[in-house]
Amino acid sequence: MSMDSDQQLIVDYLAGDGKSLEILIHRYLKPIYSFVHRYVGNEQEAEDITQEVFVKVWRNFKKFDQNKSFKTWIFTIAKNTSFDFLKKKKTIPFSEFENDEGENKLIETLADPAPLPDELLKRVGIGEMLNVAINQLAPKYRMVLFLRYNEHFAFREIAELLGESINTIKSRHKRSIALLKKLLT
Amino acid sequence: MRKDFEKLFSHLEPAEPPAGLFDRIILAIKREQELRHTKRLLFGFLILLVTSFITTPFSWTILVNQIESSGISYFISTTLSDFGTFLILWQDFSLAILESLPLTGMMVFAISIGISIFTLRLFLYKKRLLLGYLTQSFA
Repeated sequence: MSMDSDQQLIVDYLAGDGKSLEILIHRYLKPIYSFVHRYVGNEQEAEDITQEVFVKVWRNFKKFDQNKSFKTWIFTIAKNTSFDFLKKKKTIPFSEFENDEGENKLIETLADPAPLPDELLKRVGIGEMLNVAINQLAPKYRMVLFLRYNEHFAFREIAELLGESINTIKSRHKRSIALLKKLLT
Repeated sequence: MRKDFEKLFSHLEPAEPPAGLFDRIILAIKREQELRHTKRLLFGFLILLVTSFITTPFSWTILVNQIESSGISYFISTTLSDFGTFLILWQDFSLAILESLPLTGMMVFAISIGISIFTLRLFLYKKRLLLGYLTQSFA
């Protein structure tokens, strides 16, 4: 597997090297599938959306600004494609995506920057428990946590990816953590 | 806190893409490439078709007018009616015929005929692809 940067692979692909595209797809297949799966929660649909994401990436290669991060760009496409899919299916409660700045005193009071208790991490089947808890969160909270802790995105990148301000993302992150803690304890 | 959550999230097994998804994506992209190629081909074909439909009769009219206004028909009819004189003065006759040739009209007509033949050839070679694409688009 080539260790070329994403940017280099794109340049090579645009110069006619078809192999570079395969390397890029290979590099991002698992993270994108995982992200989409987390978003839509269905294997078959995640598979179709992932395929669509990569086709869209291919279609828009020439429009990609090479001074920006490819990772953020591809995840933005994945988010938009998943969102459009769910919109078509009308499974998203759209109120979840509105009034993001709206205060929730109850949740805010739950926010606690202290580390999670170590015992919690040691519990058997924590993965399963976490999975169940995360799936109970609204997609917008789930996505922030997933991008932050699974894909190791910075807040700035998440904000760019989700098309929100950095402060919105930070407060959403705070609320996600609070909700997750509540669900896990 | 971040480290703790990263540790916590490491327990979360990321969903594995099913086997064959990579190949499906590559195939879908290839299909898109072919589709894009066919679209371009169809666009080119339509441009050529319209061009040849407009230019062929137009260039034919130009050619006929130029032939009529030039002396070439006179020289040719003289050649045919008085072949003996032509044989004696063939060099002068040939030069006169060459000079009176409606070169512009002939060139324009030849180009438009060339375009028409190329369009027809393109259609005959790619008819399955073009018709298939049109059928799919309008189905």
